[in-house]
Amino acid sequence: MAVNARSRIINTLIVLAVVFIAWELASLTLSIPYYILPSPSSIVLATTRYPQYLLINLLDTLTHSLIGLSIAAAFSLLLSIPLAYSEGIRDAVYPLITGFNAIPRAALVPLLALWFGLGSVPKVLTAFLIAFFPILVPTLTAMVTLEKELWELLQSFGATKSQILLKVALPRAMPYFLSSLHMGLTSAFVGTVIAEMVASDKGLGYVILSSTSRLDTPLAFSCLILLALITLIISKMLGIIERRIVKWAYRVNA
Amino acid sequence: MITVKSILRLRNVTVRYGNGRHGGLVAISKVSLDIMPGQVVGIVGKSGCGKTTLLKVIAGLIKPVEGEVIFNGDEFDGSHRRVGMLFQSPLLLPWRTVLRNILLPIEIAGEDVNKYVGRALELVERVGLKGFENSYPWELSGGMQQRVALCRALIHKPLLLLLDEPFSALDAITREDMWKLLQEIIVHEGCTTILVTHDVREAVFLSDRVVVMGGKPGTIKAEVNIPFNRPRDIRLQYSKEFNEYVSTIKELISG
Ligand SMILES: Nc1ncnc2c1ncn2[C@@H]1O[C@H](COP(=O)(O)OP(=O)(O)OP(=O)(O)O)[C@@H](O)[C@H]1O
Ligand SMILES: [Mg+2]
Repeated sequence: MAVNARSRIINTLIVLAVVFIAWELASLTLSIPYYILPSPSSIVLATTRYPQYLLINLLDTLTHSLIGLSIAAAFSLLLSIPLAYSEGIRDAVYPLITGFNAIPRAALVPLLALWFGLGSVPKVLTAFLIAFFPILVPTLTAMVTLEKELWELLQSFGATKSQILLKVALPRAMPYFLSSLHMGLTSAFVGTVIAEMVASDKGLGYVILSSTSRLDTPLAFSCLILLALITLIISKMLGIIERRIVKWAYRVNA
Repeated sequence: MITVKSILRLRNVTVRYGNGRHGGLVAISKVSLDIMPGQVVGIVGKSGCGKTTLLKVIAGLIKPVEGEVIFNGDEFDGSHRRVGMLFQSPLLLPWRTVLRNILLPIEIAGEDVNKYVGRALELVERVGLKGFENSYPWELSGGMQQRVALCRALIHKPLLLLLDEPFSALDAITREDMWKLLQEIIVHEGCTTILVTHDVREAVFLSDRVVVMGGKPGTIKAEVNIPFNRPRDIRLQYSKEFNEYVSTIKELISG
């Protein structure tokens, strides 16, 4: 297992190295202008040129994404309980939620900026709006698909509907909720970055926009790579927490 | 003459699923049954004849469209049912330990869980799982999980134990172990038991009375008393008399 994991990492690194070397050689030999496609070495150079600037903006994007994600997660959990409780509420509210999900939320950013000004609020709101749906749906689905037999067994103890939901359906939905946070995380980053491009003068989204307008493409690439790395790292951390909290979900089928 | 009052009395119970334009599907029709305290009643019959439906009506999970279910002298109103149920699958909650699974009915009833820990541990020991109280269900074999489910069904000292094909997912050897265990528990707890099964040998081994159901909609076709003394030895099933009961009942089922 450990040996396998290590050799997998090594293989990935080898592939990455090959890609970067080929890319570097291609930019050298084909003499592609750096502002169209920067070479890996120029991206590294751009990163080391403004480390502090990049770090501050990275943290800014990260904070807003995580706040948006947390609100989306809390909201999904809170909303899934009444939605699971009553089919009537579900029938009434669910079409609204799916309808809202059909709006391209990136298009809402100018409106959010109009209402809330530039800065944090439109960023967090956009992250929240994009992350909310992919968390709510799997959580709610897991809550309403309790096996009929289990439901009947609990009823034979005299359990009420809210007891069944809180003591059984909700814990049972936890693995689905936690794994949906991965999808929610990438969605939240997308939301924040979009808002930063439209309505902010901070964050990596803003840096990407301003650097490309100055034809500083290497810096834009550096931002992209940083965004990918930070998403991967947070996702890994979520995975570790997930395995701690819902250990049982991974053991059941082991 | 001493008259023993029946603990459970069904009078002309009819159950219908759905009530569409065609009147829905009548699952059981005019079923009447009297069960005495402490009796073990086996219910057998072809698949789809309404055995599970009958059990659910008794548990108060579904309401009959006609007839009445009288439990302990009262018409069943759905409250205060002192029933324990066991299904084919153990239905344990994987995030709870064995002990916390067994205590779930107490927790749901809103009673003081601490008062029942002693009884839970005693049950765990009686089913041979001492030392596994703090294990998780996924650390146990299927047979062990079913024993935990049995403890959970018994935790609140039910007056009525309802079993729906409880051992049909187990292998033959484990199943016979469970027969012995169930017999011990029924004798010790003194609870009235209704056992739905496809296994006629199981019904004959465990029951005082075997009820044969059949037809569509399901009705009671016949009843056979099984007079063997308790405790019954597992080797009873090799005796001629035992096997005569088995073949009689099999004929009643298919006839
Ligand atoms: N929830 C339901 N809705 C509609 N029809 C049902 C439902 N449950 C059972 N039925 C029907 O009622 C009849 C009796 O079903 P039931 O489950 O009681 O049979 P059973 O004797 O337990 O069968 P088996 O031995 O296969 O478990 C069947 O025809 C079945 O299709
Ligand atoms: Mg059945």
